[in-house]
Amino acid sequence: MKIDHSQPLEYSTEQNRLNILGFWIFLGAEIMLFATLFTSYFVYEDRIGSGPSGADIFEITPVLIETIILLTSSFTIGLAVHAMRINRTKAMTVFLGITLLLGAAFLATEIYEFNHYYHVGATLQTSGFTGILLTTLGTHGAHVTLGLFWGTMILMQIKKRGLTPQIANKSFIFSLYWHFLDVVWIFIFSFIYLKGMM
Amino acid sequence: MEFFERFAIYHPSPLIYASMVAIGLVSIAIVVGITYFKKWGYLWNEWLTTVDHKKIGIMYIISALLMLFRGGADAIMMRLQTAVPDNSFLDAQHYNEVFTTHGVVMIMFMAMPFIIGLMNFIVPLQIGARDVAFPRLNAISFWLFFFGAMLFNVSFVIGGSPDAGWTNYYPLASNEFSPSVGVNYYNWALQISGIGTLMTGINFIATILKMRAPGMKLMKMPMFTWASLLTNVIIVFAFPVLTIALLMGTFDRQFGTNFFTSMNGGMDMMWANLFWIWGHPEVYILILPAFGIYSEIISTFSERNLYGYKSMVWSMVLISLFSFTVWLHHFFTMGQNAFTNSIFSITTIAIAIPTGIKIFNWLLTMWKGKIRFTVPMLYSIAFIPLFTIGGATGVMLGIASADYQYHNTMFLVAHFHNVIIPGVVFAVLAGFTYWWPKMFGFMLNEKIGKWAFWFLTIGFCLAFFPMYVTGLDGQARRMYTYSEATGFGPLNMLSFFGAGLMAIAFALIVYNVYYSFRHSPRNVGDDPWNARSLEWATHNPVPEYNFAVTPEVKSSQAFWDQKKHGHKLFDKEYEEIHMPNKSGVPFIMGVLFSIFGFSFIFAIWIGVILSAIGIFACMIHRTFEQVHGFHISVKEIKETEEKFGGADK
Amino acid sequence: MKELFPMKQVNGFIFSLLLTVIALSVYFLDMSFSVAMTILLVTAFIQAGVQLILFMHAGESEDKSSIYTTTFYAISIALFTVFGSLLAMIWGYMF
Repeated sequence: MKIDHSQPLEYSTEQNRLNILGFWIFLGAEIMLFATLFTSYFVYEDRIGSGPSGADIFEITPVLIETIILLTSSFTIGLAVHAMRINRTKAMTVFLGITLLLGAAFLATEIYEFNHYYHVGATLQTSGFTGILLTTLGTHGAHVTLGLFWGTMILMQIKKRGLTPQIANKSFIFSLYWHFLDVVWIFIFSFIYLKGMM
Repeated sequence: MEFFERFAIYHPSPLIYASMVAIGLVSIAIVVGITYFKKWGYLWNEWLTTVDHKKIGIMYIISALLMLFRGGADAIMMRLQTAVPDNSFLDAQHYNEVFTTHGVVMIMFMAMPFIIGLMNFIVPLQIGARDVAFPRLNAISFWLFFFGAMLFNVSFVIGGSPDAGWTNYYPLASNEFSPSVGVNYYNWALQISGIGTLMTGINFIATILKMRAPGMKLMKMPMFTWASLLTNVIIVFAFPVLTIALLMGTFDRQFGTNFFTSMNGGMDMMWANLFWIWGHPEVYILILPAFGIYSEIISTFSERNLYGYKSMVWSMVLISLFSFTVWLHHFFTMGQNAFTNSIFSITTIAIAIPTGIKIFNWLLTMWKGKIRFTVPMLYSIAFIPLFTIGGATGVMLGIASADYQYHNTMFLVAHFHNVIIPGVVFAVLAGFTYWWPKMFGFMLNEKIGKWAFWFLTIGFCLAFFPMYVTGLDGQARRMYTYSEATGFGPLNMLSFFGAGLMAIAFALIVYNVYYSFRHSPRNVGDDPWNARSLEWATHNPVPEYNFAVTPEVKSSQAFWDQKKHGHKLFDKEYEEIHMPNKSGVPFIMGVLFSIFGFSFIFAIWIGVILSAIGIFACMIHRTFEQVHGFHISVKEIKETEEKFGGADK
Repeated sequence: MKELFPMKQVNGFIFSLLLTVIALSVYFLDMSFSVAMTILLVTAFIQAGVQLILFMHAGESEDKSSIYTTTFYAISIALFTVFGSLLAMIWGYMF
């Protein structure tokens, strides 16, 4: 396979460039996936039946914690890619590790939040609103969970084989995924939580 | 025993038990046959593990043809049941199941895979590529589609078929009104094959954007490739909507949520909304590649280049965008105000403009051309007037106020069959005949092909035009019977007769494959049709590596340039060719996905968990795997090329 | 150590925190619905743009036009889907 040394490692082979473009197209599909969830959320937002509304159950503290954690993790994964580009493998793995830890912290907070909803009587079955709320948050959370496993696999591969063009490519694509999840969260934060609480 | 009771058929009849026995016997016969002829190794090595876009394309087409017969059998049963008033061949429940599976099978498991199969085979050849961007992913796409389709068909004999229409509207599709597992099958079969289709979409966009031969700018791509690119763009943005809608439906039916119920804030009409946000683009996913196929064929057999290339491209770009802005016309009568209906009425009618442009382009391509009336060309010529009629009735339906009259009648059924059969079915049959020598190295018999064409076209007109009349007279769709006093009897009998002619046409097509396989001459050369685009610049059948040397292109009709204008397509020396490895993992993932779906349908959670673990294990295996493909040496290339008569370089 | 924290990334991070604080004002301050929604829309889309261009390097490769086209195509269809559905299911729904 031809390696082009004038390009960053993650772009250095033709297959790598294909992978990155392919993943961007996948992100286009993900935009539509979450757009469908948001569409449904807006339609069901006021259809609360006999259950609670958003204003009744949202709490600002866990939401703020989640937002700051995810923004920070988006920053650290950006730093990991930067470290990778200046060939600092060690620093890169550290940043990637921090990102994954922050991801785990996010998930822990989200689990706390879900538990809270359960205790105030907002379950998947309660109403159209609670159903779509938990489905939207859950889909995002499932993406984060998948990202944690994926990132761990990449860390293991870097440990095992070092930063080859393939692994650099995977790491870069993982960073795209992670930033994208942050973007989705910004929209959840603004149009589900803040809109619901104001 | 209690565990097994859930698998019992919801609404049995002797017909279903007979099919059960037949399916069992055929399966046993296949297994015994393969074992007897010692073909397991061949099957596994050459087909089940392949990542070659050509073989995957052929497997798509074979599956699509099988599904055509499944869906066709459903169609015949429906026409037979309604052929005379007060018929009792099928009861209401069976009729519901039959029209549901007919719709789903024909759209999702026949038309789409047929088109994706042709795309798989042709697009990489038309752009001069070795394979698609992600060959392994392509195999996964195929197996997800295949096992999704199998899962759907299993519903017939295990647990009961879906019965809420292919549109699966709630509340009809809810547990209350569809208590069998049928709708669960619908949810999971479509979910699994839909994920496969989404990945196909990503794969082909990346392929077409990045793997074109040197010199092939976007505006120099053959029209079928353009159509495929835009189709895949629609796939990528439409299918996620279906994913979410099916997920919500699954939650409603299996976890008791209130999305599409009528209490606790549920909204049953939301399903219709989401379904058609996907469903309307879906019909353009079917028709755009068909437009591409017709463009290739009409240009080839008129011996003229395509009239208005740029307007063809731009009209398709417009259609691909507009397709996402019209969905509400499927439920004008649902209760929106006049303002809302007007907006969607206007966008709907506006789509007729780019489509009309295309019709005129095809007509002007044929104008003063030297037309050869081959089988593919006959289909293309019949397509133009028939599709125009279908399009015009579509505009009628698109007028919101008038739609109150047509809605839910046989008029609508006539309309969409009138666009889908001459539009999509004729196109795939034309493409199938046109590219057949590319796949297998011999031609299909023209004479039998023409007989099939006439049976199909006349049968189509007789089967569907009467429905316009009965529809305007008020015959509702999806009604399993009607009384004699309605007077619908004679026209429905005519429809049944037409459906019979269509069945004969499909039988003739199968016979043609058999006959040509036995009797057609094998030395048809590389250019049996005097064609124009790049896929004909390589051999028939195509060698594993597609092109011995990467071609250099300067127009959308690269092969014609070489033949008539002395353009040098292959002006390079042979070089070693890098090819991707085969893999059994996609097939295994397909099996695991079908176990996952099946277990979920019947709420067997242990099966769900185990197969999910298996799927993740496959993905982990993939990420740690190090495969670099293999190389075909210059010597091997030379040998292969000489076998094909070599000097064509 | 310093080369591991480029200004572009650090500034981007600070800017995104700032945007979050601005968005939070709709919770802590009293304002009309339309003003609040405007603030949320503006901050959310700027935030998305920051991620896309600064952090995801959308414009760095030879495929940048494909990437931007895909993203804008997705966003426009997404917006049409959201608002079209609201029109169909809420604003223009008569029951």
